[in-house]
Amino acid sequence: MGGQKNSFLRESFLNELGPVVSVPELEELRVRYLGKKGLLTAELKNLGGLPPDQRRTAGAALNETKEFIEHALGQRKQELKDLELSRKLASEGIDVTLPGSYVPPGRVHPVTQTLEEITDVFVSMGFSVEEGPEVELDYYNFEALNIPKEHPAREMQDTFYVSKDVVLRTHTSPVQVRVMQRKSPPLKFIAPGKVYRCDADISHTPMFHQIEGLMVGEDITFSNLKSVLETFLHRIFSPDVPVRFRPSYFPFTEPSAEVDIGCIFCKGTGCRTCKGSGWIEILGAGMVNPHVFEMVGYDPKQYSGFAFGMGIERITMLKFSIDDIRLFFENDIRFLGQF
Amino acid sequence: MRVSFAWLSEFIKTGLSVEKAAHLLTMCGLEVEALEAAQNDVIMEVNVTPNRADCLSILGVVRELSVLIGAPIVLPPAEITVKEVKTGPAEIKIEIRNEDLCRRYSGRVIRNVSIGPSPEWMARRLEDYGIRSINNIVDITNYVLIELGHPLHAFDLNTLKGGRIVVDTADNIYRHIKTLDGVERKLHESALVIADAEGPVALAGIMGGASTEVEESTTDIFLEAAWFEPVNIRKTAKALGLSSEAAYRFERGADMEIIPYALDRASYLMQELAGGRPQEAVDVFPWKKAMPRSIDVGAGRVSKLLGTDIQKEEIVRILERLGFAPRWNDSVITVFPPSYRQDVEGEADIVEEVARIYGYDKIPTTLPASRLSIQDAPTRRNFVKAARQSIRKSGYSEAVNFSFMNPQVLDQLFLPVNDLRRSAVSLINPLKQEESMLRTTLLPALMENLKHNQQRDIRNIMLAETSKVFIEGKEGELPGEHLMLSGISMLNKTYSFWRNGKDEFYTAKGAVEALLDEFRVCDRTFFGPCKEPFLHPGKSADVIVSGRRCGFVGILSPTVREKAEIKGKEEITVFELNLDIIFECLPQTPVYHPVPRFPAVERDIALVLDEAVSATEVISRIKDYPSKLIESAAVFDLYKGEGIPAGKKSMAFNVRYRAQDRTLTEEEVEQVHEGLIKDLLIHTGGSLR
Ligand SMILES: [Zn+2]
Repeated sequence: MGGQKNSFLRESFLNELGPVVSVPELEELRVRYLGKKGLLTAELKNLGGLPPDQRRTAGAALNETKEFIEHALGQRKQELKDLELSRKLASEGIDVTLPGSYVPPGRVHPVTQTLEEITDVFVSMGFSVEEGPEVELDYYNFEALNIPKEHPAREMQDTFYVSKDVVLRTHTSPVQVRVMQRKSPPLKFIAPGKVYRCDADISHTPMFHQIEGLMVGEDITFSNLKSVLETFLHRIFSPDVPVRFRPSYFPFTEPSAEVDIGCIFCKGTGCRTCKGSGWIEILGAGMVNPHVFEMVGYDPKQYSGFAFGMGIERITMLKFSIDDIRLFFENDIRFLGQF
Repeated sequence: MRVSFAWLSEFIKTGLSVEKAAHLLTMCGLEVEALEAAQNDVIMEVNVTPNRADCLSILGVVRELSVLIGAPIVLPPAEITVKEVKTGPAEIKIEIRNEDLCRRYSGRVIRNVSIGPSPEWMARRLEDYGIRSINNIVDITNYVLIELGHPLHAFDLNTLKGGRIVVDTADNIYRHIKTLDGVERKLHESALVIADAEGPVALAGIMGGASTEVEESTTDIFLEAAWFEPVNIRKTAKALGLSSEAAYRFERGADMEIIPYALDRASYLMQELAGGRPQEAVDVFPWKKAMPRSIDVGAGRVSKLLGTDIQKEEIVRILERLGFAPRWNDSVITVFPPSYRQDVEGEADIVEEVARIYGYDKIPTTLPASRLSIQDAPTRRNFVKAARQSIRKSGYSEAVNFSFMNPQVLDQLFLPVNDLRRSAVSLINPLKQEESMLRTTLLPALMENLKHNQQRDIRNIMLAETSKVFIEGKEGELPGEHLMLSGISMLNKTYSFWRNGKDEFYTAKGAVEALLDEFRVCDRTFFGPCKEPFLHPGKSADVIVSGRRCGFVGILSPTVREKAEIKGKEEITVFELNLDIIFECLPQTPVYHPVPRFPAVERDIALVLDEAVSATEVISRIKDYPSKLIESAAVFDLYKGEGIPAGKKSMAFNVRYRAQDRTLTEEEVEQVHEGLIKDLLIHTGGSLR
């Protein structure tokens, strides 16, 4: 008789479990079978009335049924919980294509980017970074650089004057003199900054940026100058860009050189940017003129050195294919946002 | 300078194409910038550097080519065949009164010239150089100028008074002259003039005088070939605002020794083309004994400075070709540069000459074997870089503006008379009035940038600039230069998906706080209202770092906006910080404090306060409350409106309590917290909400 009872209990439980869809319903079902007055509990209480030998087998069977029911309830409970959670999560869905909330970063000006990049290349070669005033004495801007008053080279650089003896520096070269006056050789530094020329047309702005460099020591040679600048240009443009040095003139260097790179647009075959020559002028350089050393009290017999200078706007224009220098100073957000 | 390849080829058989010749010249320092096709000719546009006055002629460029390829130079004919004609004075008496400014003066009378048009070939060549053909005599002086580089001048002999030429400065002669261009000119005292017995007849080396001009009626001329001192010519030309082909060459340094040949060459052409009869030349040359100069070069110097071994024979060969007449002994090379190479002054010049003819491209590249030198730490550079990055991450794009300022902007910002920013540096020669001062604040330029973008329908504008401003220094001192970081923003929330109700002021303040956080600057306050007259008085604050004012942040006042003609209704935030001050106030390396081991207890307080009571006042009161258990306090809510009386606001603060040595009990915290609330109510005049 025990076996029949148990299979009946299991069957009726399973029938009732089938349609259960919520945790409270499931709890009701549990109470109906396993509660204090539950069907199975009642059966267990009845065991006491049976003879001992029957009681053991019937008890074991009932306990088995109890375990079966408990397990089924547990399993269903987990199923219902999972279902409920997934329903809840499904109802919480959002449009993931809407924009995220963050502060969109601004952009660093392309000229500053180039300036930093160039600075980093020289710093990696052991150069330090120096600064000097933008409003400068005529003495540092010209005379100490071997450009006396009435020198024709002054015409190469239209100068803004603040007074008879004070100018807006026309190049970063005065920093050379200021640093040499302050420190003794060996020296190895660059000086980036703004410079000014009294000149404004389609390809000139009255203010632009330059980087000046100076290396002074006991055995610095023209061959060193070539090597440092070639290494620099290969790092900034590309390792295979051709570099050429040709004689030129700056009052504060001797010998002097203009440094060209092979045109990066036409690869040397000639185009509008390089005016058909296949070469683009990129910087000026040279061995420090002994007169400049004498002015700062260095012995030109003991020391030699090289200096170089370059315009940052021009290099930036080449790097980013920008065709109008004036774009740099309009500060149009649609321009700045591209870099 | 323009150089006709056909003309050049009359002097030298190069056997080179024009392109090859242009390349050779470029690589030795005479950059050929362009080649321009002309009738049966190619014109080379040569960039002659200011030191190479000797190359401002066909002959000069020919000399360079000759050095490079070793071909000989064939000079154009200059033979004078016609004998003297004895009618009237064959000679002009020359007197140089200032031998420093005029070191050689030669001349020659040429009689019986028939003035007329130049032959077509000559007129065309001059035209290629942009020189208008006038008559055969004037044209010949111009032709020889281009050909040989030496300026000549022809006077109408019969207008020269007293048969004499005097060279002296204007203060010793006469301070007025009417030049060939018909202009009456007043001369400064040191201007060098050419005078006859009665007064000035030419502005030496710059322009002839109108009274002695060669005209159609001229029959006899006096042809001048002289040397004038460059600085004097330059000063006079500059003072008079006068430039000429002659002045251009004299101020760069003409060749004293080519004078006889130049005189003969022009005389020859006048004889051939104008039927002239050249007379005996007169030559006054007080500086003759000063030539030639010599320069010594240490034997190893060339190779040492260039960093490559160039054989002695090679050096001597190059110097010989350059006409430097080298003499060699064991340790020294002595050279005698030709008179046309006045630019060659010292050893370094000789090294350069050897290097450029040897070829820069043949010098190897060797990285310097430099000793380790100790550099200053790049602290400041890193600071500026990090500041720029911080502001960028707050949404600002970097602007770069000219350092110039329109003097009017100082008024537009209502800056008081004694404001430091009124001590601006003025330029003597600005390009325009709006750029006649140097900036003392970056704000006006950013306002212009804002307008520029706004006019192009850009709705969200955030721009910041890191640049120097300049404040006039004391008498005899350079101006003070200060590195400023300034920002401007105007955001159109209507078109933003994530609108928030926060006042725009906090956009700018947040950017400044983020920047200060970047450098762990904790000692900072935003003190309002700030006194800047261009800011909204209720929405602005001074930024104080370590007790020093380093700038401001705020909303631009409506009056200033209106004056600057900025459209739109959104508020404009601005800030300006002095980075130099912040850099000086950067905190030291932090000292480690143990991380708390016991838990904190938090309590919130909501207070209804007068609107005038600031969050900072309440927080500093909390921090000043005498209990070691208060760890920190922060404001977390601000509410105005329903349920709060007018003129009041509700602010909520979170206070954290913690002990370093134990876990706090509820009772302990409660006791302190109640005391704190009482204290706050008394001192803020508020009530609990
Ligand atoms: Zn090209």
